[in-house]
Amino acid sequence: MSATLTLADFAWKNVWRRRMRTCLTLCGIGMGIAAFVALVGFSHGFEQAWLKMYESAGTDIDVVQKTFMATTVAESAGPILQALPEVAQASPVIVNMMDVTADINAIVFGFRDDSFDLDAMKLVAGRRFHGDDAEVMLGQLLADNLAKKPGDTVDIQGTTFKVVGVYTGGSAIEAGALVMPLAQMQQLASMQGKVTAFHVKLKPAAKGESTDDWMHKAEAAIQAATPELRAVPANERASSNQLVVLAHAAAIGTSAIALLVGAMGIANTMAMSVFERTKEIGVLRALGWPARRVMGLILVEAAGLGISGGLVGILGGWGALRLMSVIPATKNIASASLPPAILAEALAVAVLVGLAAGFVPAWRAARLSPVEAMRYE
Amino acid sequence: MSDSLLEVQDLRKSYEDGQIQALVGVDLKVAAGDYVSISGASGSGKSTLLQLLGGLDRPTSGKVLFKGANLGVDVDLDTYRSNSVGFVFQAFYLLASLRAVENVQVPWVGTKIPGKERAERAEALMVEMGLSHRMKNYPSQLSAGERQRVAIARSLANNPEVLLADEPTGNLDSVNSAKIMDILTGLQAKRGMTLIVITHEDSIAEAAPRHIRMRDGRIVA
Repeated sequence: MSATLTLADFAWKNVWRRRMRTCLTLCGIGMGIAAFVALVGFSHGFEQAWLKMYESAGTDIDVVQKTFMATTVAESAGPILQALPEVAQASPVIVNMMDVTADINAIVFGFRDDSFDLDAMKLVAGRRFHGDDAEVMLGQLLADNLAKKPGDTVDIQGTTFKVVGVYTGGSAIEAGALVMPLAQMQQLASMQGKVTAFHVKLKPAAKGESTDDWMHKAEAAIQAATPELRAVPANERASSNQLVVLAHAAAIGTSAIALLVGAMGIANTMAMSVFERTKEIGVLRALGWPARRVMGLILVEAAGLGISGGLVGILGGWGALRLMSVIPATKNIASASLPPAILAEALAVAVLVGLAAGFVPAWRAARLSPVEAMRYE
Repeated sequence: MSDSLLEVQDLRKSYEDGQIQALVGVDLKVAAGDYVSISGASGSGKSTLLQLLGGLDRPTSGKVLFKGANLGVDVDLDTYRSNSVGFVFQAFYLLASLRAVENVQVPWVGTKIPGKERAERAEALMVEMGLSHRMKNYPSQLSAGERQRVAIARSLANNPEVLLADEPTGNLDSVNSAKIMDILTGLQAKRGMTLIVITHEDSIAEAAPRHIRMRDGRIVA
């Protein structure tokens, strides 16, 4: 029994007639999708790492500056927050990215030595730093990268610090980070009297009171006590963190450009394909195909190119993420995790790009008069 | 209401803003089951007439009636071509990327006809054309005569009432020409279809029970 010819079969055979052109088109859209998957996956992993960091430390609320660009908070807000009945501890923190060698940069945290954030960092070697001495603790990933252990030194922006401890953190961010006394960080970053934020741990909710209600109450109290600042629940803070927002924006912006190039590849391929098949399209119309079915065929071809390129791109993007999670420059902050939602998004984007790119050629094909198309040389 | 299957009334077709007059007032009636040949020199308007009869184009003025309904006005042209007309062309116009039996299925692609039925009907048409051994071949692997037979099978896909053949033997040698004409006339007799054949060849033209001659966009005999 012969096989049935379906619209999808027909579309596939049309696309595969020009193998080289199809392969090049798939590469184009594949690169766009790979960029999307890698960059969005990277920024997603970055956001998840921040969230995990807050969760592992037990941070309930992040108190930050209201504006986006001016990201420093007066250190004097600390005692005001600490005095609130809802607050167990308000820990000042500075976060920055710094060069720890000529080739390696890392996230650097500045904490007080009694900060609850340090409790989540499990020492695997050495000890915590004391007071404001020029001492640092290294996340295990960073320590391996730098080949440093307790007793060694690191130079950061011209200041020599003694490595006193190596820790494992709850997230990739902590594991690849460096931690130093707050006062040292303020000196390096010229932020005397200022911090990036306060990590706030709340006291337990009263019996019978829901966590959400307690959280809202605490937010309101903090807001009232420090009206110039913003109290953000930790789970929201992970997504609104300036670094995460910038990472997302850069990911979307860069991959949009790559996708545009891929889309133009599909549009060109479909336009050429319709042009070459003008006579054939006339024959389809003569055989009774309505214009919308012709348009449907071209759109199925374009969507097929999008999906195929998308699958190629997903594989490439995942590979790029894997690579970023092992190379020294990015392994401290990159995670190779790729949630299904991002894969689904990538495939949806690939299909939409294919359809959008194929629309004009499809519409033009549908408008061809049968007799003019069949006369075309 | 006309008792003709196809009728044209004062049919005119011009191109290039009237500079080229392909048909200049043609009147014709074709009854159901008729076998009509149309001949004439190049540029006489015979292909244009066939295209209008087949709903491939619209007239500049005049009417083309199918069972009394005005094509393009009372009857959608796509529906007419899909349900009532089959075409056979001089150049065959098979799709190079599809196997022979797949070419026969092209009229059904994207319709609601179940896949199994499509495959069975296509096979049956190929067998009817004597091409059971050529089902999986591509057009490039078929002889000219075999390609035209595949095209005829394809034209029968929707059980048309009218079969329009534009120079069906134009690219064939005399032996294959005779075979193809035998097939077409055999189908016409067996299925009771209306067959209209455009031809340059006198022998084919005069073999039809009704032979129309055209010159300069008019029927002259």
